[in-house]
Amino acid sequence: MLATMGLITGTAAGGAALAAAPGAEALAGAGGVAGVSVSAHGAPLAVLAIALLPLLGAALCALTAPLRLGGKLPAWITVGGLAAAFGLTVLMHSGVSGLAAGEALVAHGYEWIAFQSGAGPGDRFVAPFGFYLDSLTSLWMLFVTGLGCLIALYASEYMEHDVGLGYARFFVAFNLFVFSMACLVMADNLLLLFLGWEGVGLCSYLLIGYFYKKPEAVAAAKKAFIVNRVGDFGLLLGILTIFGVFGTVEYAALFPKLAAGRDALGEPLAAWVGWVVPLLLVCGAFGKSAQLFFYVWLPDAMEGPTPVSALIHAATMVTAGVYLIARMFPAFTLDEQQWVLGLVAASGAVTALWSATIAMAQHDIKRIMGYSTISQLGYMFAGLGVLTTTGAAFHVFTHAFFKATLFLCCGAVMHGFAGQLDLRRLSGVWWVKGWGIIGAAMLVGCLNLAGFPFTAGFFSKDTILAQAFVTPGAAWVGWVLLLTAGLTAYYTFRVFFRVFVGPVEYHPGQDDHGHQGDDGHAHSSQHGHAGGHGHASGQFHPHAPRWAINSVVGALAVLSIAAAATYFVYPQEHGWVGKMVGHSTAAFAAPGEHHSGAHADPHSDAHSTDLRSNGAAHAAALGTFLGFDPHAVMYYVSALVGAVGIGVAYLLHGAGRRTAATAGADGLLRNPLVALVHRGAHRKWYVDEVYHALITLPLWVLGHVLHLVDRLLVDGLVNAVGAAPKLTGGRLRVQQSGVLNGYAVAMAGGIALVVLLVVFMTN
Amino acid sequence: MIEKIQALWPEIALFVTACVVMVIGLSPSAAVRRLCGVVTGLGLLAAGALAYTTPAVNPALPGLALYGKAMVAGIGLVLLLLASGTVDREYESFLARGGEGAGGQGRAEYEPLRSTKGEFYAFFLFSLTGLMLTAGATDLVWLFLALELTSLPTYVMVTISSGRDRSMEAGVKYFFLGAMGAATFLYGFAMLYGGTGTTSLGGIANALAAQRAAPGGQINPIAMLGLVLSVVGIGFKIAAVPMHFYTADVYQGASPSVAGFLAFVPKAAGFFALLSLCAAVGWGPTGDTLAEPLRSVLWVMAALTMTVGNALAVVQTSLRRVLAYSSVAHSGYMLVGVIAGPGPAGGGTLMTSGVAAVLFYLLAYGLTNAGSFAVLGCLERVRPDGQAEELDSIEDVRGLCQDRPLLGWALVLSVMSLLGLPPLLGFFAKLPLFGAGLNAGEYALVVVLALNSAVAAFYYLRVAAAAVLEPGQVGRGPVSVRPTTARWRPMAAFVSAAGVVALAIYPVTGWALFGARQGADARSEPAQRAAAEPALPSDPHAASVGATPPAPAE
Repeated sequence: MLATMGLITGTAAGGAALAAAPGAEALAGAGGVAGVSVSAHGAPLAVLAIALLPLLGAALCALTAPLRLGGKLPAWITVGGLAAAFGLTVLMHSGVSGLAAGEALVAHGYEWIAFQSGAGPGDRFVAPFGFYLDSLTSLWMLFVTGLGCLIALYASEYMEHDVGLGYARFFVAFNLFVFSMACLVMADNLLLLFLGWEGVGLCSYLLIGYFYKKPEAVAAAKKAFIVNRVGDFGLLLGILTIFGVFGTVEYAALFPKLAAGRDALGEPLAAWVGWVVPLLLVCGAFGKSAQLFFYVWLPDAMEGPTPVSALIHAATMVTAGVYLIARMFPAFTLDEQQWVLGLVAASGAVTALWSATIAMAQHDIKRIMGYSTISQLGYMFAGLGVLTTTGAAFHVFTHAFFKATLFLCCGAVMHGFAGQLDLRRLSGVWWVKGWGIIGAAMLVGCLNLAGFPFTAGFFSKDTILAQAFVTPGAAWVGWVLLLTAGLTAYYTFRVFFRVFVGPVEYHPGQDDHGHQGDDGHAHSSQHGHAGGHGHASGQFHPHAPRWAINSVVGALAVLSIAAAATYFVYPQEHGWVGKMVGHSTAAFAAPGEHHSGAHADPHSDAHSTDLRSNGAAHAAALGTFLGFDPHAVMYYVSALVGAVGIGVAYLLHGAGRRTAATAGADGLLRNPLVALVHRGAHRKWYVDEVYHALITLPLWVLGHVLHLVDRLLVDGLVNAVGAAPKLTGGRLRVQQSGVLNGYAVAMAGGIALVVLLVVFMTN
Repeated sequence: MIEKIQALWPEIALFVTACVVMVIGLSPSAAVRRLCGVVTGLGLLAAGALAYTTPAVNPALPGLALYGKAMVAGIGLVLLLLASGTVDREYESFLARGGEGAGGQGRAEYEPLRSTKGEFYAFFLFSLTGLMLTAGATDLVWLFLALELTSLPTYVMVTISSGRDRSMEAGVKYFFLGAMGAATFLYGFAMLYGGTGTTSLGGIANALAAQRAAPGGQINPIAMLGLVLSVVGIGFKIAAVPMHFYTADVYQGASPSVAGFLAFVPKAAGFFALLSLCAAVGWGPTGDTLAEPLRSVLWVMAALTMTVGNALAVVQTSLRRVLAYSSVAHSGYMLVGVIAGPGPAGGGTLMTSGVAAVLFYLLAYGLTNAGSFAVLGCLERVRPDGQAEELDSIEDVRGLCQDRPLLGWALVLSVMSLLGLPPLLGFFAKLPLFGAGLNAGEYALVVVLALNSAVAAFYYLRVAAAAVLEPGQVGRGPVSVRPTTARWRPMAAFVSAAGVVALAIYPVTGWALFGARQGADARSEPAQRAAAEPALPSDPHAASVGATPPAPAE
């Protein structure tokens, strides 16, 4: 480790000199070759260990199963490996943060795929196993490995009912996921990114389907996998198009070409590149990040164990789409109109509102968090779409912490109350003995998600909201997002008021983890009993979280609060995250931001040095919020909206509640109109039914038709051909001597035909 | 004269070995007779070593002789493992038992007339000698004699391969149809001589170039007809449509070891000859296409060969007929590379040179094919009457992976590689054919190639599925399939399976492809360079020292 530190810090010092500056002439001229030769000496290969440690962890965890090393060994392997990876990431971060804007280190592992198809400039396909390290990479890796380590610790307790083969299986997939995610984020070329992209998809599939004996889990896993295939196909096409146009998939060679707007041959880019490439990339991003039309897999993915939901389906994997767009942002700004970004903004806003409405009517608290994740991802996409990559990345960063907190609290509840997740059957959890930390952490998470003033979620949401009003033509996005903020505050605190505070009453769920000595089914007869304080379902004793869960949830709550502090460092550059994003390829000065006005010329600003140029010239084109400067007033507006949402939630679900099953909202639901809307939202606006009718059913019918064709026609043909020799065999055997003549005649005939063809053609 | 002999050291080594083997194969001592195979192997090793002394003899394809001879020696070793124990196994064991049983009474004396061991190995070597000579041919007469030296021993090998009626019938069929094919291309050679006035390939190239350069710009119709007849006649060697009819009958009649030999040796000879002839015609001054009627004939042959081969393979139930028809289809694939030619001037690369693609494909096909036939040769089925017979039906390999895992997986690897499934060798061999075809603008033909590759999956996967998915047969009723007593044959299967995997690893593939590219280095430099430098600076071993893949742009 010491040697590693020396390596990394040593290189950090020399990093600036050795950094593969994307704008440098050497790179632009010679493509990837020059970049490789520079960085092969420059970048510390130790960073490869960030990805390889989890891979090693996966191998070790896999070994524990056949070796029958019982107990929690796989968990400790995972926690240790990820802690080491996190340590390396911190060191890498210190190395990377010394770089100037637009610079990156390239750690060249080995040539993974190299393919020569000709001598031309676009005829060499190279995809090294190497890492491209800039501040965007560093930002993502910090929370991927950090959260991964914490959640692995949490899972060590959460998964203990399954110690043995299942435990090992869980942690193998967990490690493999972190490896894939590291490949995705740190890749120095799009193909390695795609490998990681598919890898996280696979691990997501494996982990959603972890309870493989449960049909819902298997169906959910398949759904996630298949829906993602559609998006991934788009991403693959996008990568191939990029190679076709630019002749490379390596970032170090690609970004100078994007910045210069030149293709592989140095010609100016065709107009279609400016929208086809971003559109295809966005297709992949929408699938992975569960945006509209693709989002249906994410709520079902909550069938997986809760640590998985927290890590993969809230904090890291689903933000891969945001990462992809942020990383490839120069491609999105190629087109002057940037209508693909407009599409991203629109889709993000609609997704945010759409899934927030669904979340309002759900009863399963984990599903509410699932829909909330989709909604927050919508915020991030809207942020990208309205040109604030900083806001999007900041929201990713804060969301990773507070949503992980929320999920892990829900997971603790699920763990402790035998799988109970229905908010009508739980109440006052905070007041149960041993649940203090969980309740407090839940409050912190809810405040963040609701955008309560001075929380991290408040600042990150505001950055996006304000920018939506500033960027010309995006005001409606801002209004939709503002409405969503109110709804978010409502559904978040609906969960909090019903489950964590109020009268103490609880009913155990269906699965009991088999280690509590009593059976959840036995107590279902007692449901409906209006529980008094401390007098819950018979002998059922909730299973209070122990140190691992408590410490992780507590740490995450603290981190969620601490994330707000990053907004106040580097105020010139919009906080710590803003500085990180501003120094990476995602750097894009949003219109109206203090440090730039370069919106009109997207090509120059990616690595522009005149970040200080005055934005006043463009001020006339910028939008306002009802005549005020959005950046100034948005703090108050969104705080007000959030407070209204919380207040409504208190009135409907908090005030005067006697039992878990009833709340003030019940009276409202007796109104037929409200009930109709509620039923629609509760049934998720019937999207699954529509998909089933439009896509699944026709494919099912087609599949059966094709199967019949195969059975009757193809098999019939083959069988008939197979039967023919048997039928005629008797006669043929007699004429065996004639076959030679037949062959000879056929050959002679063939020769004659050829000669005729030649004579015909030459005359 | 001396220069000619200098170019022939590997052939001379093989020829001398063949003579030695013929003598020791008749020795009354069983121990000495047993040396036949070993001596043959040593001869092949010596020839392989000597292959690197080969100079560039054919200015149009300077590297062909070197690459061809090195490859023949290498694949020859695998084929030798496969061919070992083909003949005289029963007779030798009869002698070892002291002549008891099976009609012998007491001590049996060795009767040279009943033994065919010496002949078999000698013919094996003669055929390979002919193949090497084909690779180095510079003259039509030489080419004809070399092709016939390759083929004539195979007629005998087929006939004596199993000692049953079926192989005799197959041998006779093969001989008569082969004679017809030889007559066809000999007639073509004669017309080519008539149309150009010379038998030297270099002279023919000059004459044809002069005819094209002359006003009118056409190749003499007699010469063109001769070329086409030659190509069609050589089509017999590579089992291309319309000369493919014999394939299934002969492969099924011969023992699997000889069938594996037939699927590679005459085919390689045919492709060496085709490449030499096409190089004499030239793929056009800028490397675009062959002269017109010839290109069309080859085009139609390629498309039909692939399609007919695959279509017939799909409906077979006999595994050996499947492999036979698939061998027809593989010839069709390789013809795409012949049509595409060596690619742009300045030296084709991996993905642009059809000649390099063909040469590499021959290597990959030879290795893989030997493996699949070796698995068949390692097993025999017992008929209800107790007689052993060779494996034939796909049914016979059911559950092989469970019963005999090594052989089973070797078979699966071979057929998967023949199918061209990444990341096996067959994929890396087929990919350049696509690249070269596209590069030459033969889009329609590449589409046909792609469709045929998909069709091929049908029957190859059927074989693999039978071996992998079906439950094992051992322990369920009477065992009908058992291993043969040929001890070296499984080695051929394992070497092939290992090669299929190992050669697909990038640096190794890169090295082999480098060799193939050097072999195909047709127009990279003016022909004078090749004439000035007797030893081509393209020693594949020298290139492999750094284990560097071929440099991107030379």
